[in-house]
Amino acid sequence: EKMYLTLCVSQQPTTNTVEEPLDLIRLSLDERIYVKMRNDRELRGRLHAYDQHLNMILGDVEETVTTVEIDEETYEELYKSTKRNIPMLFVRGDGVVLVAPPLRVG
Amino acid sequence: MESQQEPEHLPSGPTEVVNSIRERTIAENSMVVLLQGLQGQVTTVDLKNESTARGRVVNVDAFMNIRLDNVLYRDRRGQLTQLQDLFITGRNVRYVHIPDNVDIMKTIQSQLARIHRVRNFASHGGGRKEFATKTK
Repeated sequence: EKMYLTLCVSQQPTTNTVEEPLDLIRLSLDERIYVKMRNDRELRGRLHAYDQHLNMILGDVEETVTTVEIDEETYEELYKSTKRNIPMLFVRGDGVVLVAPPLRVG
Repeated sequence: MESQQEPEHLPSGPTEVVNSIRERTIAENSMVVLLQGLQGQVTTVDLKNESTARGRVVNVDAFMNIRLDNVLYRDRRGQLTQLQDLFITGRNVRYVHIPDNVDIMKTIQSQLARIHRVRNFASHGGGRKEFATKTK
């Protein structure tokens, strides 16, 4: 399997049909996507390129890290999320859990 | 303390392609070629252990092992350390921040061109004659 780039400089001729799960990701090239990662992280960005390991290049990325704090007295769970923006990010594939179109909230 | 020789000036920009055929094949089929094209640039690598390392990329191999120099290393608690040289195992990489001035398409294409040039050079003139095919 070869890698796919936005300007279709793939090393193998691309087919138009969806044959395997990775082809579904191919449909999202140059679109904004949602990526769920390990360690309670999420990314939202534009998919510029990816490969068979799910290493990805994302542009205009917003990373959300979610943490849970437990109140020692009330044992309440306090969910906190931290966001940051990165213009262009290379993501190593072994951290990727899920790739989807951006979620619509509300 | 003995005086040490100045370290060799490392060329900036993409350096030669790796010699191992196996590594070339692994690299050309994955996005690692983009990271290899970042040699000479200053970038930030986010590690899986929540620490970050910002420095100049010396080398990236097919397994995403990264060597950086002139590094500012920030651990998960925010403590800063300066390191002359840092080797990061590929499996420890979470993100690599791509500098704004990098043209991704051009970098990947030029890295692949280097790999193919080396391959074609090696077979120029028929390559090694040890296993020459019989003409009969």
